[in-house]
Amino acid sequence: MTTLPLDPLTRKKIHRFRSIKRGYYSAIFLAAAILLSFGAELFVNSRALIVRYEGRFHFPTYGSILPGTTFGLDYRYETKYRELKRKFKAEGRGNWVLLPPAPYNAYENDLTEGIYPPTAPDAGSGHWLGTDSTGRDVLARLVYGFRTAIVFSILLLLCNYTIGVTIGCAMGYFGGKFDLFFQRIIEIWANVPFLYIIIIVASIMIPNFFTLMMIMLFFGWIQMTWYMRTATYKQKSREYVLAARAMGASDPYIIFQHIIPNTISIIVTFMPFSISSGVVVLTSLDYLGFGLPAPTPSWGELLRQGTSNLDALWIVSSVVVSMILLLTMVTFVGEAVREAFDPKKHTVYE
Amino acid sequence: MSAYFARRFLLILPTFLGVTMMVFAVTRFVPGGPVERMIAEAQSMQGDQVRDSGKVGQAALSEEQIQDLKEYYGLDKPVLVGYVLWLKKILVLDLGISTRYNEPVWDLIKGRFPISIFYGTVTMVLTYMICIPLGILKAIKHKTVIDNISSIFVFVGYAIPNYVVGILMLVLFASYWEIFPMGGFTSENFDELSRFGQMLDILHHAVLPLTAYMAGSFAVMTFLMKNSLMDNLAADYVRTAIAKGNDFRGAVLKHALRNSLIPIATHFGNNVSMILMGSFLVETIFNINGFGLLGFDSIVERDYPVVMGILVISSLLFLVGNILSDICVAVVDPRVQFK
Repeated sequence: MTTLPLDPLTRKKIHRFRSIKRGYYSAIFLAAAILLSFGAELFVNSRALIVRYEGRFHFPTYGSILPGTTFGLDYRYETKYRELKRKFKAEGRGNWVLLPPAPYNAYENDLTEGIYPPTAPDAGSGHWLGTDSTGRDVLARLVYGFRTAIVFSILLLLCNYTIGVTIGCAMGYFGGKFDLFFQRIIEIWANVPFLYIIIIVASIMIPNFFTLMMIMLFFGWIQMTWYMRTATYKQKSREYVLAARAMGASDPYIIFQHIIPNTISIIVTFMPFSISSGVVVLTSLDYLGFGLPAPTPSWGELLRQGTSNLDALWIVSSVVVSMILLLTMVTFVGEAVREAFDPKKHTVYE
Repeated sequence: MSAYFARRFLLILPTFLGVTMMVFAVTRFVPGGPVERMIAEAQSMQGDQVRDSGKVGQAALSEEQIQDLKEYYGLDKPVLVGYVLWLKKILVLDLGISTRYNEPVWDLIKGRFPISIFYGTVTMVLTYMICIPLGILKAIKHKTVIDNISSIFVFVGYAIPNYVVGILMLVLFASYWEIFPMGGFTSENFDELSRFGQMLDILHHAVLPLTAYMAGSFAVMTFLMKNSLMDNLAADYVRTAIAKGNDFRGAVLKHALRNSLIPIATHFGNNVSMILMGSFLVETIFNINGFGLLGFDSIVERDYPVVMGILVISSLLFLVGNILSDICVAVVDPRVQFK
């Protein structure tokens, strides 16, 4: 912390944030979960981590597929590592396979003859959270779905905020006709039922990751724009801006050197809430079947399966519990960030 | 002040036009409208005939028939002309005819009113009845066990969307423990029940959806109440009241509480649209034939007259609700000056 050249105010805010325990620990936990999810292939995957075969090591996790012939099997498609492990064990010739803790990927259907999915959680088979209605591993779909959702929300947030900060700042700073025009636009945008529009659009073309993001961006930018407009408006009437202008500072200089640094607290404070709303919207769309295309692992799709297979309690409970955990922790972080930037000290009567 | 509100009411018009025009245009550019569906239906019908007679049929519908159909649904004109025609009909309160049911849109919508209003008003009343006392309690008992424990529930309720609460309860209480019914508004034997039995039946069906509905607004309202009361408790006038020997209870209830209710009033107008629109996700989950489910179904079925009809009603309610909120604030708080 001390190596960073932070001004004392920022350091104070960070200190305050760290002193709010539940927010701070939630932030650490979430950051770790997000980082780990980027290496999810190492924990939840059908490919083995290490294969030792005839004295040589193979690391199949990343890179191109290794055909079965690599390990002396009689097929040319990708090696089935779970079978390979059993085979090596039976042979007992010193070859071995190290599988990830959850040896399934999010797409494969693990079907056994005579057993109809969904199957209940069973540590023996490696399905820690059971399988869904087509025999896919629930844990794998949960983990990869989390990664998709969080990446989606973060990218959406970056795009939304870039547009929102730019237009909002311009509205507040330049005012006049520009401001009035965008005010009307925002008023219209805010009143269009955007879930309806997304569903209409999604019902004609199956959206992929980026088209879905474009559609959401189309409606998502207004919130930040509105807050930034108000904030800029307030800052602009402050004396320091007047002073800067009196000294001959240009508009871009004032905006980037003075106004944006002073409105950063608004931007930062809203971030956690934007992330959780991104996850929620994506999940709702997937739940309704208008989100990401079919085999993509997603929480909404799991929720949908859970509600149509009510007997398979493990599907619905694992996704609902994950959602509660994630969203509550994000909210804790958001509340702690807000508190750090704008501490409220209350008088308490004894 | 009245000039301000008059201007606000006038500004409804351009917003309303913008919103409806946008959705109208989107529905126009989307394929799969009523005409396409009829062509598909005619084709499948003809397909059967062809198989029966062994003859090879021509196109399912002739060009002329398609043209007639387009004219019937007003799809033969460019978007803007179509929009103006639609608008003219709206002005005489004609919402058009559903392409799916061939019934006037207004009749369809009207049929859903009772259910939506029932759920909306009960949710609203319950939310206020629970949130205001809970908020007061949490403010007074700030940082005590009661406050912290209730905070957990409020936080979770705030964080997760209300339809997930709905799903969770459906799974636990309807499917697993079978305490409450899976959905719907009444049981199948509703007509055979006595008056009292009917009431109980409706309530029995309403418990889960109502809880899901409330989960959304509940958290916001409780925090709003708590925070505004705490702000007021810290204000000088409350300190004065206590300093001059008022008991704490009196100071809170007589002085601080009245002023803390102002932010609650700002939310009041939104209830207008909440009462009617509800949440179509919750309605989908519990299979409640309300307003929201009608809207969702008509989008999925591409029944655009109904979509537009619902949009007209919901956007008007929303815009009026916003102004109503401001009026509420102005009435409750004389310091507020709208210019």
